[in-house]
Amino acid sequence: MSASSNPSTLEQSAIDGARALAVAQADALKAYRDLSSYRVQIVQEDDGWHVDYELKDARLKGGGPHYVIDAMTSAILSKRYEQ
Amino acid sequence: MNAPTIAELLANPIVQQALEQAWVDSLPQDVAGRHEEGGLVYVDTTTGVISIQRAPVAGRAVFDVSAPPIVAGSVVVATFHTHPNPIAEGWEPGPSTSDTLSADLLGVPCLIRAEDGIHTTGPDLRRGGLTGNPGFPA
Repeated sequence: MSASSNPSTLEQSAIDGARALAVAQADALKAYRDLSSYRVQIVQEDDGWHVDYELKDARLKGGGPHYVIDAMTSAILSKRYEQ
Repeated sequence: MNAPTIAELLANPIVQQALEQAWVDSLPQDVAGRHEEGGLVYVDTTTGVISIQRAPVAGRAVFDVSAPPIVAGSVVVATFHTHPNPIAEGWEPGPSTSDTLSADLLGVPCLIRAEDGIHTTGPDLRRGGLTGNPGFPA
């Protein structure tokens, strides 16, 4: 038995959290320039990887970026820039 | 004497001028140079006179007013800062989650000047009134 050569039947690999973070971080650095004030939370939900940057110090004013990354393609499905 | 409410602060010409000057200083039209600006609003607990202290220049989307200078006879009644990054590039003009959390933590209203006007968050007036610590209320 030979494997199918039809691309439509090939399984697509899901990306891991590190890849989702890399995609988010590349965009976040362009927008925010410096991410040292933030901690990052990465959670896989039904709609993709949620990557959320929150300020480390609760007394600071400001906001970080928030992403949903497609778990199959690594495309940015949505993003929100808080300031 | 009561601490001023958000509405009273926004009607005060000294506060209005501080918000507008911070907006200008934050360089909202300068793609490379725009950054947050702002400071603290004080009230003299004897006279009721409002004064302003600007905070050091901040980052693109972060601002620190957590260590207010002591102004003799006065207490902090609000913080203010700008959101200079444009809506057209996907930035939200209103208060962030952290703006609201920090205002509740610090115990004074948070006033924000953005491209679409003024936003506010946090308590309506200084927690505990004009008594307590000279900086933020305990």
